[in-house]
Amino acid sequence: MTGAIDWKALEVGEERRFEVPDVNRTHFVRYAGASGDFNPIHHDQTFAEKAGLPTVFGVGMWTAGVLSRIASEWFGPENVKRYSVRFATRLWPGDTIHCHGRIERVYEEKGVPHADLALTATNQKGETLIQGAASVRPWRGNQP
Amino acid sequence: MAHIHPPGLPVERGKIHEFANAILDEHPHYHDAEAAAAAGLPGVVAPPTFVMAAALHSDPDTKIAPELAALDTRYALHGAQEFTFERPLVAGDVLRAEPGEVKTYEKEGKRGGTMKFVEAETLYRDQHGDVVLRSRTTAIQTAGVVKDRAP
Repeated sequence: MTGAIDWKALEVGEERRFEVPDVNRTHFVRYAGASGDFNPIHHDQTFAEKAGLPTVFGVGMWTAGVLSRIASEWFGPENVKRYSVRFATRLWPGDTIHCHGRIERVYEEKGVPHADLALTATNQKGETLIQGAASVRPWRGNQP
Repeated sequence: MAHIHPPGLPVERGKIHEFANAILDEHPHYHDAEAAAAAGLPGVVAPPTFVMAAALHSDPDTKIAPELAALDTRYALHGAQEFTFERPLVAGDVLRAEPGEVKTYEKEGKRGGTMKFVEAETLYRDQHGDVVLRSRTTAIQTAGVVKDRAP
């Protein structure tokens, strides 16, 4: 969890990582309920097979939500100014998600300290699930 | 499925709690109103991707770009997504979504034939009419099923 962040002391190259082992269909269904995304391709085996797939695959936005934790745990969710993701390989039941974030740039905008993060979610084979990026800053600017 | 919606897109504490749990995030600012208040926030914060839930629980007044609605979900892929916040989204906010700029273009795919890209922006305004965040969705319509590795 985040303590007080020393925004002026952030350095390029600082990293955070965590993993979610053994992803399962319940993860997908729970996200479907929470998000309201009931596209059956993410929970209905029959539907997935009719679409020519071996089984259901993960909702991209679920993995994106999991990956956003790198920025929210590190800097506090209220301090995430921008979060973007690009989806690559699909996530299948049984996969492990490796999430990684690294500070790529530290700078000031209108006197407010900012940092840009490069984020990646990869599976257990090292294939990229998501390439992401985030910009963080103290949400109250320079107010204490 | 029944589709009955309250007016606007209410950002609710319980929904934030449920959504944060679904993405396996235990940050206290998502779950604990007192911790959020201690950080100077008027309510628990919504995760960066939360409006995907709001968008899908949208009220009848919310319009998504017809170009997105027209995609065949069997062969559509979510290519990219971006959220840009003017301020933290918090429990108690009531959002209104309005479509922004839409771009469509085509590319030759390596695996699925011609791919049609739809890039659609959505603006989310709060109860005061101020923009809280902008979302940009890139969806890809493939010509047929995209083969991928089995698990």
